[in-house]
Amino acid sequence: MIPTVSASGLTLRFGGTRALDDVSVRLAEGVTGLLGPNGAGKTTLLRVLATAVPADRGSFTVLGHDPGTTAGRLDVRRALGYLPQTPGFHQDFSAFEFVDYVAILKELTDRTARHREVRRVLEAVDLSDVRGKRIKRLSGGMRQRVALAAALVGDPGFLVLDEPTVGLDPEQRMRFRELIAQAGEGRTVLLSTHQTEDVAMLCHRVIVMAGGRIRFEGTPAELTDRAAGRVWSSTERDPAARAGWRTGTGAFRNVGDPPEGADLLEPTLEDGYLLTLDGETAEVAA
Amino acid sequence: MSAITGTIPQAAPTGVEPPARGTESRAAAILALARFEARELLLQIPVLVFLAVYVGYAGWRLFIGGDGMDDFPVLQDADRATQPTPMLLAVAVFICVNRAVLRSRRQSTDQHFDILPMEHWRRTVAHALSVLPLGAITALVVGFQYTWAALKPGAVGHGSPAELVVGPLMVLLAGVLGVLLARVIPVGFVAPPFVIGAFVLTTLVSAATQGKHWVSWLGPVVVEEGADPFPSELLGRPAAWHALYLMGLAVLLLCLAVLISGGRTWLVKSVAAVALAATAVGVAGQSPGEPASLIAARTKASVTPEKVQTCVQHGRSTYCAFPEWTGRIADWADAVDRVQSRAGGSAGGERLTVRQRIDARYGLQSDAAIAPSTTPGTVTVGTRWGGNRLPEFAVGVASVLVTGNEDAAGKRCDARVVTTMWLALSTQPDPIKSLRDVRLDDSIEGSAIALAPTNPVSMSAQQTTVVRELLQKPHYSVAAKVKAHWTELTSAKTSTARVAELLGVPADGKATAADSGSGSCEE
Repeated sequence: MIPTVSASGLTLRFGGTRALDDVSVRLAEGVTGLLGPNGAGKTTLLRVLATAVPADRGSFTVLGHDPGTTAGRLDVRRALGYLPQTPGFHQDFSAFEFVDYVAILKELTDRTARHREVRRVLEAVDLSDVRGKRIKRLSGGMRQRVALAAALVGDPGFLVLDEPTVGLDPEQRMRFRELIAQAGEGRTVLLSTHQTEDVAMLCHRVIVMAGGRIRFEGTPAELTDRAAGRVWSSTERDPAARAGWRTGTGAFRNVGDPPEGADLLEPTLEDGYLLTLDGETAEVAA
Repeated sequence: MSAITGTIPQAAPTGVEPPARGTESRAAAILALARFEARELLLQIPVLVFLAVYVGYAGWRLFIGGDGMDDFPVLQDADRATQPTPMLLAVAVFICVNRAVLRSRRQSTDQHFDILPMEHWRRTVAHALSVLPLGAITALVVGFQYTWAALKPGAVGHGSPAELVVGPLMVLLAGVLGVLLARVIPVGFVAPPFVIGAFVLTTLVSAATQGKHWVSWLGPVVVEEGADPFPSELLGRPAAWHALYLMGLAVLLLCLAVLISGGRTWLVKSVAAVALAATAVGVAGQSPGEPASLIAARTKASVTPEKVQTCVQHGRSTYCAFPEWTGRIADWADAVDRVQSRAGGSAGGERLTVRQRIDARYGLQSDAAIAPSTTPGTVTVGTRWGGNRLPEFAVGVASVLVTGNEDAAGKRCDARVVTTMWLALSTQPDPIKSLRDVRLDDSIEGSAIALAPTNPVSMSAQQTTVVRELLQKPHYSVAAKVKAHWTELTSAKTSTARVAELLGVPADGKATAADSGSGSCEE
């Protein structure tokens, strides 16, 4: 793997809370998923990598640029596309105007080339037909695509997406996955999400965070493999299971250390994720 | 930092042009944002409405709503007449620019935008620059207003570029102030109360300081308008210092906004220091008030105008004007000739001296009336011309022809009033309209005061009737009778009824009690 983004020992405290605790990651071209429960430090890591907040300790580079210097930070920002967790919009702007505005803030100065680029990204997110429509008149899914277009404009080498599929209906989510997959071709994408399906379908790498620390870094298959032999079916919820829930068939799916002779099931990435958290969350209930 | 191995992919994957690099390109990015924001600003409803009101009002004044005096503009007044009207536009610009700066905060895009390459302070500069097109539009309107006035054949005097730049500078200053306010108090609803607060504060300060010169000049526009325009050299307005003050202040406020936004570069600090110095110099230059030399010059022009005037012989008469008004002498001579041509006796050939007079001793805003000249055969003319000033001047000329001098209020009575008013008004293109225009109550019936450059003429109801009847007749049919009976018509002993009889018009009965003391020689 040739790393495009490399972070070492990132630590950041908010008051008494250690939001990032000695985080070191390496990202390469393609989509990397960032999983973790609420408060795990995902958004904080994204904001540090996006140069929105400086880390108390540690360092990182993006495409070889060190944000520790003014010039380096500028270079990182030039190489960056960022889709925030709850993107804001200038509601009275049209989709085209908003993306054009972001393009100007990305310092694309040639008006003709910039407008060509804005049209390109709006076409890439399938918004060409509504590019003149005011943002306040667009649906939530369309707005999210406007935000993605704004992140993509200028063709950044490093794309940071913070929970981009939250609030989207299944069809919109599927459409968004296609867009993210396309965006991951030829650039580094870091995708923070709660949706393990997103990671399973999109990502070639996955990072699991909890309590401000990295708990896992590898491929989705490796994360899934963590649950191999640790998922079983039973007619009642197994009290020894770390998590268990009744499935559509009426049987219970248990994750943890199975009893001898248990009816083992094929593990999923979610099972591996749950086992990786190892008690960090108790969100899955019977 | 952990070691990185391999080659890092640097290039953008789809061959899009790379973002701006280098100082010039980054400046180009600021200009691109300024252009975008300028377009947005021009589309804001308050700006559109007040721009339309401003341009519409200016156009209406130029093409529709002006009076006759607008055909004879005095350019040292025309320049500063352009200043107050952009005020509402400036207020709209202030509020809309403030909203534009706070747009990101209001719509939660600020955190996202803060990690984009263009820094906060560069965006601040762009917002300030976005006001330039509106400043340029204001400059165009001001330039058009002034040029339109200057190109009129009746224009006299000299305008000042420093007075002309005040309107555009006020718009720019308002925009920059809106930017600064947004950076200091980043709350959207603050701008409108700020405007009201500024207005209240200005009023209170003005009242507390009783309009002291140095306080007045701290405001963007200083309106000083009196009854009559002054020669340029007697204005005493520190226009150039004021323009420097406004310009310095605008740049200083911009620098403060940029510094607050994080642009603490040596260049910004240096420009701020220069702007502060320019503002201070401007304030110091405009503050001292009127120098003794100016007051002496105003007194001289008021009391002994002959010492500063140029006199020209035109026909039988002599015309003396302040140097900037010599171009009006032909108009005055034309008016004098027309009145004199209808006078009889020696008055038809009398050598008059028409002297331009002002009373500048009480400053630009004085409404002091000009005292009548005591010199026989001297007619006063003011510094305004056109509109009502033409029949008023004709009344002044006729009055001197009939009574001998301007200082003859007690002698301007009975037949003399009728003769004076007919002489003056029968020479006008529309005599009845002119009768209405010169009378204070705009009527052509009853008693009233008729205006003249110095002493007004008091007309009784009976005199009004006779004059009106005479003006409704063809002037040539009256003129012969006037010349034939000139001595009797200009005698203080001839009654109004007798004038009517001599000139063949009804006298509308005798003078009423209401006419007592109004145009009668009996008192």
